[in-house]
Amino acid sequence: MPQEAPGVRVDGLTVVYRTPAGELPAVRDVSLTLEPGTITGIVGESGSGKSTMALSLLNAVQPPGRIAAGSVEIDGLGDVVGFAGERLRKARGAHIGYVFQAAQNSMNPLKTVGKQLLDLGRSHGVADLRGLVREAKELLARMGLDGARVLDSYQHELSGGMRQRVGIMLALVLNAHLVVLDEPTTALDMITQANILKIVREVHAERGLTTLVITHDIGVVAEVADRLAVMYGGRLVEQGPTRQVLGSPRHPYTRGLITAIPRLTGDIDEARALPGRPPTLATVPKEGCVFRERCPLRMDVCDTVDPDAVADGSRIVACHAVNVREHA
Amino acid sequence: MITGTGITKTFRQRGNVLGKREVPALRGVDFAIGKGGAASFIGESGCGKTTLGRIIAGLESYDEGEIAIDGTPMTPLKPKQRQPHFRKIQMIHQDPYSALNPTRTIYQTLQAPLALRAGQTGRPKAWIDERATEVLSLVGLDPATVLSRYPHQLSGGMRQRVVIARALTVDPEMLVADEAVSMIDVSLRLGILALLKDLRDRLGVSVLFITHDVATARYIGADGELYVIYRGQVVERGPVDTIIADPVHPYTQSLLSAIPVLHGLERPGEEPVVPLESLSADQSDSGCLFEPRCPFRGDRCATERPLLQVTKEAPQEHACFYPERRQVIARPMSEV
Repeated sequence: MPQEAPGVRVDGLTVVYRTPAGELPAVRDVSLTLEPGTITGIVGESGSGKSTMALSLLNAVQPPGRIAAGSVEIDGLGDVVGFAGERLRKARGAHIGYVFQAAQNSMNPLKTVGKQLLDLGRSHGVADLRGLVREAKELLARMGLDGARVLDSYQHELSGGMRQRVGIMLALVLNAHLVVLDEPTTALDMITQANILKIVREVHAERGLTTLVITHDIGVVAEVADRLAVMYGGRLVEQGPTRQVLGSPRHPYTRGLITAIPRLTGDIDEARALPGRPPTLATVPKEGCVFRERCPLRMDVCDTVDPDAVADGSRIVACHAVNVREHA
Repeated sequence: MITGTGITKTFRQRGNVLGKREVPALRGVDFAIGKGGAASFIGESGCGKTTLGRIIAGLESYDEGEIAIDGTPMTPLKPKQRQPHFRKIQMIHQDPYSALNPTRTIYQTLQAPLALRAGQTGRPKAWIDERATEVLSLVGLDPATVLSRYPHQLSGGMRQRVVIARALTVDPEMLVADEAVSMIDVSLRLGILALLKDLRDRLGVSVLFITHDVATARYIGADGELYVIYRGQVVERGPVDTIIADPVHPYTQSLLSAIPVLHGLERPGEEPVVPLESLSADQSDSGCLFEPRCPFRGDRCATERPLLQVTKEAPQEHACFYPERRQVIARPMSEV
């Protein structure tokens, strides 16, 4: 079945987790469009809701979490929020590939990579398992690995960078054209990270994918993504073309985040940590702007009214201070 | 002052049918970190930087060479005699989540080493509480709110500060920070780095920073020395900013080339260096250790091992027969 890179439209997505303190939103009213054939990067700190957001794309949020509102419309598939059972299982793998955070821990340590590949094929009713193995070997070779050797290996015999590549192979081998990579380079060192990012870019272009990369590291997004979306406290606070957002960030959180990156050149004292700390599920304010506690531009209205995401050309920002100034 | 000369360490794996396998972790490393000074070890995983850090902190033995703490060589001493010396060197681990006992409050965590100290020096009980409050203030935490908390009630950044406070209870001369910020949220990392620098300035504690992220090494202090370690050998060494701006060893250049470029803010370096293959344990031990991966290898490299030295090509020490400056790091747009 020939496929093309699908577009994805997330609209008004809210995901809540049940806690002793009631249902708390990990992702709140988030709208995001992935254009077909692009790489989008979501940046956020721990607890920002970025991984929950990514799991929603597969409708894979686990209890005590649930998708409380909104839709995830995927081209050629429909709204996956309404999917369940067998239909959902088939969509994962065949349409949506997911490379899990810490791929080093997401494999079965008792089975060789090849055995796990065959399990994957059988569970998705692949008739031509030989073809599947051939495809897997080609993908591994494309990523600079010896396919036959890797398929015969257990996970402990592979280095971190190799496991990450195996994760990418498993996500793509069923010919998925929407791929989600959750923290693809965390725990890898610099040279391996650079290799993996290069592979992500190249495979994305060669196979015609729509790719979503989730990370806490702006540098990773800067290297691979066409569009950048910044999450904070379950809200998408800013999105736009990567170079524009990095070159002229508008939301005070994005600005703070960029100022906090240790740089190789320039005055050390210009880099500054953001004051305060990121909110957790329990400490996210129930009303008003989620970032106001740490914000240098805080106004009275921020305490009571959650700013809307306002579009200005290709840039979208959710901030009272920024949007008032721009529209005054 | 902590010095090391010719530190060598080989890990021996248990034998199988093919015989024992020996993995050289360190191959004759020299270092010196002065009082209140700063040094950073950088390199890929498996290069030996953590092993060296653990040896310096007294947590690992070494096969050859000598470590001297404030002029006292450690090798002739019995383990018990070494203890008070190595106590001056405290380690801060990567993961603040597993470094603290989850069933103890922060007060209990700090109280244990302080009570030991008070016992040794004959100080009153009141001193323990006083000092616990003091070390927490030093690391930028509010003692009134933190002392009674358990680790799970604190954020990652705060936990790492508690770990640093605990290290300070024994009045160390040096902190060994092994990837101490890599598990901390991005917006808070710089705060921890600034704290380490601040402790140097205020207490005269020296800092040894072990990382694969070169950029963070700058934040420990402009006077810091950078040691680039490759397969157990120091391949380039000098002032942090000199090595970042003007690296001459192809391995250092590869490390610096691999740092993500903030497109939109920065322009990539003009001559990025990409190693030919990835680091593997099977690579040969003869000649230059980096030779199998080096894009610029020459005739001598396969047979002869270059030594760490200063040549007319570069002011910093380097271990390469063909040192050459290359523009590898990204520059801010405003500078170009």
